[in-house]
Amino acid sequence: MARISVIGIGNVLEGDDALGPTVVRLFEAAWAVPEDVAVIDGGTPGLDLTAYMAGLEALVVVDAIKARTGVPGEIRVYDKAGILNRGPIVAMSQHEPGLRESILHAEFQGVSPPEVRLVGIVAGSIDFGCRLTPEARAALPGAVEAVRRTLADLGVAVTKRDPPRDPGLWWERPQFT
Amino acid sequence: MSQRITIDPITRIEGHLRIDLEVEGGKISKAYSSGTMWRGIEVILQGRDPRDAWVFTQRICGVCTTVHAIASVRSVESALGLEIPLNAQLIRNIIIAAHAQHDHIVHFYHLSALDWVDVVAALKADVNATAALAAKISNWPGNSVPALTAVKEKLASFVKAGQLGPFTNGYWGHPAMKLSPEVNLLAVAHYLQALEIQRKANQVVAILGSKTPNIQNLAVGGVANAINLDNPATLNMERLYQVKVLLEEIQAFITQCYLVDVAAVAGFYPDWFKYGAGVTNYLCVPDMPTDAKMSKFDLPGGIITSGAKGVEAITDWKKTQPFVGKVTEGVARSYYEGKEARHPWQGETKPSFKPEEINWKPETAPPEKYTWVKAPRLDGKPMQVGPLAQVLVGFLTGHELTVKYVTAAIKAVKAIHNIDVTPAMLHSTLGRHAARAIRCAMMGELSLKHWGLLAANIGKGDTAIFVDPMIGLKAGTVYEGVGLHEAPRGTLSHWCVIESDGKGMKLKNYQAVVPSTWNAGPRDEKDQAGPYEACLVGNPIADPKLPLEALRTIHSFDPCLACAIHTHDADGNELGQVKVGV
Repeated sequence: MARISVIGIGNVLEGDDALGPTVVRLFEAAWAVPEDVAVIDGGTPGLDLTAYMAGLEALVVVDAIKARTGVPGEIRVYDKAGILNRGPIVAMSQHEPGLRESILHAEFQGVSPPEVRLVGIVAGSIDFGCRLTPEARAALPGAVEAVRRTLADLGVAVTKRDPPRDPGLWWERPQFT
Repeated sequence: MSQRITIDPITRIEGHLRIDLEVEGGKISKAYSSGTMWRGIEVILQGRDPRDAWVFTQRICGVCTTVHAIASVRSVESALGLEIPLNAQLIRNIIIAAHAQHDHIVHFYHLSALDWVDVVAALKADVNATAALAAKISNWPGNSVPALTAVKEKLASFVKAGQLGPFTNGYWGHPAMKLSPEVNLLAVAHYLQALEIQRKANQVVAILGSKTPNIQNLAVGGVANAINLDNPATLNMERLYQVKVLLEEIQAFITQCYLVDVAAVAGFYPDWFKYGAGVTNYLCVPDMPTDAKMSKFDLPGGIITSGAKGVEAITDWKKTQPFVGKVTEGVARSYYEGKEARHPWQGETKPSFKPEEINWKPETAPPEKYTWVKAPRLDGKPMQVGPLAQVLVGFLTGHELTVKYVTAAIKAVKAIHNIDVTPAMLHSTLGRHAARAIRCAMMGELSLKHWGLLAANIGKGDTAIFVDPMIGLKAGTVYEGVGLHEAPRGTLSHWCVIESDGKGMKLKNYQAVVPSTWNAGPRDEKDQAGPYEACLVGNPIADPKLPLEALRTIHSFDPCLACAIHTHDADGNELGQVKVGV
C-alpha cells in the first residue's frame, strides 16, 4: 500500500492538457522511487481522485494549470491551502469536480492526506491533438525536477535510473506509417 | 416578454455543456443545448492500427474510460467478424457491470443528490426518527442510531467551523428544497458511505483491468488476463474471490441504500414526475452477452417510438439488426461542414463555422450553428438514451430482471410515502433517477451472475482468453464494423472502416456516436429538438438567478459532455457561471 502518490492529471488527446501524464511518465523513466511511493498516470479521473488520495500521507498532483498572470511553461508549486483557497462552483457534469473538490470530499470523509502539493505547469494551447506546444515541451525537464524536489521536501529520496527507462508516451507515436 | 438565462460552466480553458433558456411566466418556453468543446478523436485515429484504437478512445473521457475501450475493441472485432473466447466476454462483462455501478452511485450521491438534498437542514434531524424511518424499508447497518449520530456530529463540526467542504455548491434554503430533516440526514450518511463503495467498485475494475482509471487488460480478440488458478501472478482463485466479495458488498449498498434513497427522495417531490419527459422515443441495445457467439444477452435492446405501440426488439449485434442501418448524424446546427445527415461509416468531422457563432454571447438568440455536438437520429427521429430507455424497454417486454427491480422501487415509494407510482410516471426527471437506481441494481445482480459463469467456465478447464485478429486478413479488403455497448449513459456505438493489405491494418474512418450526443444534441435540419432541449420545456423556474429546476432536469441525464479537460484554475475564478438577461 502506497504511503505517497504522485499522480499526473490530464487528457493526452488534448494538447498541453497532456502535461500531467507526460511529466509523471518522464519522471518515472528517469528516477526510481521507494516501494511505498506510487507514480500514476491518472488521466482525467474527476471525483475519482478522492479514491486515489484516501489514506495517503502525501499526494503530489502534476497538472496543467491556467493562470492569468503566468506565461506558458511556467512552473508553480502549491500546497493544500493554496489549492483550497478558491471561489464556489456550480457543478454540471461528472468532470467538473477537480482537485479542490476531491480534497474537500476527502476532508469531509476524514481520509484526506495531510500533505497535498500541486506541481502546476501553465498550459499554452489546450486543443485536440496529441502534441505539446513548444513552450510546454521546453518546460518538461524543469517540471520533472520540480516533482523530484517536491518529493525530497516530503522526505522521499529517489535514485537515478541508468540507463533511463522508456517513458512510454504512446500517444506521441506517428499516425500515418 | 421572455427572459433569457445562460448556464455556462465555461472556464476550464475549453468549454463544456452550455444551456440557454427562455423563460416566460415562470416556465421554460425554449431551451438550447450546446457543447462548447470539440472532440477530434476521429481525426486522431485515422491511419492508425485498429488494434491500438481502444487505448486512445479510453482517453476520450475521464469518467467513461472503460466504456470507450469496450466499444472500440467490439467495433474492430465486428469489422473482422471475430468471435472471442467466452472467458474474455465474461471478464469484460464484469468490468462493465462494476464500472456502471460505480458511475451510477457517484452520479446520484456525489453529483446530483445535492439538487434535492439540503445538507444543512440535516442538522435539524431527529436521529432516532431517522433510524426508525430507515428501518421500515432497509436493514443496512449504516442506518443505526450510533452511525447516524456520528454523521450528524461530523456535519455539525464542519458547519461550525464554517467549512461546508464539498457541499459549498448547494442551493441551501432554496424554496424548491422539500425533504424532511430525517431524509436529509439519511442522504448525507449514505453520501459518505457511497465514497467507500465507489472505491470498492474501482477495486473490481482494477483487479480485472490491471489498472484504473485506464484499464490495460483489453485486446482486439479478447483480454490479456492470463488465467491459471494456482499461479499468483495471473487471474487465480484468490483474485476471483476478492472480486466476488467486493461485488456482494456493492450490491448490498445498492439494494439497501441507493434504491431506497431514491424512493425516499422521490416521494417528497411528486411534481417532478410531471416535468422533464421531453423526447419520448427511446433506444437501447442488448448487452452482457452470455455466449461466445454473442447470440444471447442478459440485457435487452429495443426501440420505443412515441405514439406507436410496443417495442421493436433489438436482439443481437449483427449489422442486419434495426439499429445499425438507420443511424445518421446531422450537422445543420453544428459547427461542421456539410448539409446532409450521414451514416457514421460515411461520417465526416470537418469543422466549419462563423466567428460570431463560436462566440455566441450569453442571453442572446442562438445563431444558426450553435454547438460542437452533432445531431444523431434513428430513422430521422431524435431518441432518448440512458437508464430510462433501458428500463422502459425491459419493462415493456416483460424482461424478468427489469420487472423485479421496477416493482421493488415502486414498493419502496409506497412503503415510505404511501404514494402509488405508475410506470407511466417514469417519463420524467425523477423517472430518470429512479431508472438509474433500478438499472444499477440490475447490474449488481448480473455482475454476480457473470462472476458465477466465469468461475464455472474456468472450472471446466477452459482458460482461453484471446484469438489472433491478424489471422485471415485479406489483401485489398475494406472492413466495416460497429461496436455496440449499452453504457451507463446509454447506447454507445463506435464505427470503424479498416483497410488491409493482407499483412497489416489501417483505420480509414472512425466515428464515435456517444450517449450524450444522442441526449445533448442540437436541433436538426427539420428543427426537431434534442432530448435535453425538449425535456426542459415546461419546467418551472422559481428564481431566474438560481435556476435549480433546470439543473435538476439536466442532471437527471447524468451529463457527460465535458470530455475531458481538467486544468486547475490557478486564478481562483468562479468556475461556473449563471448569467441572466432580460
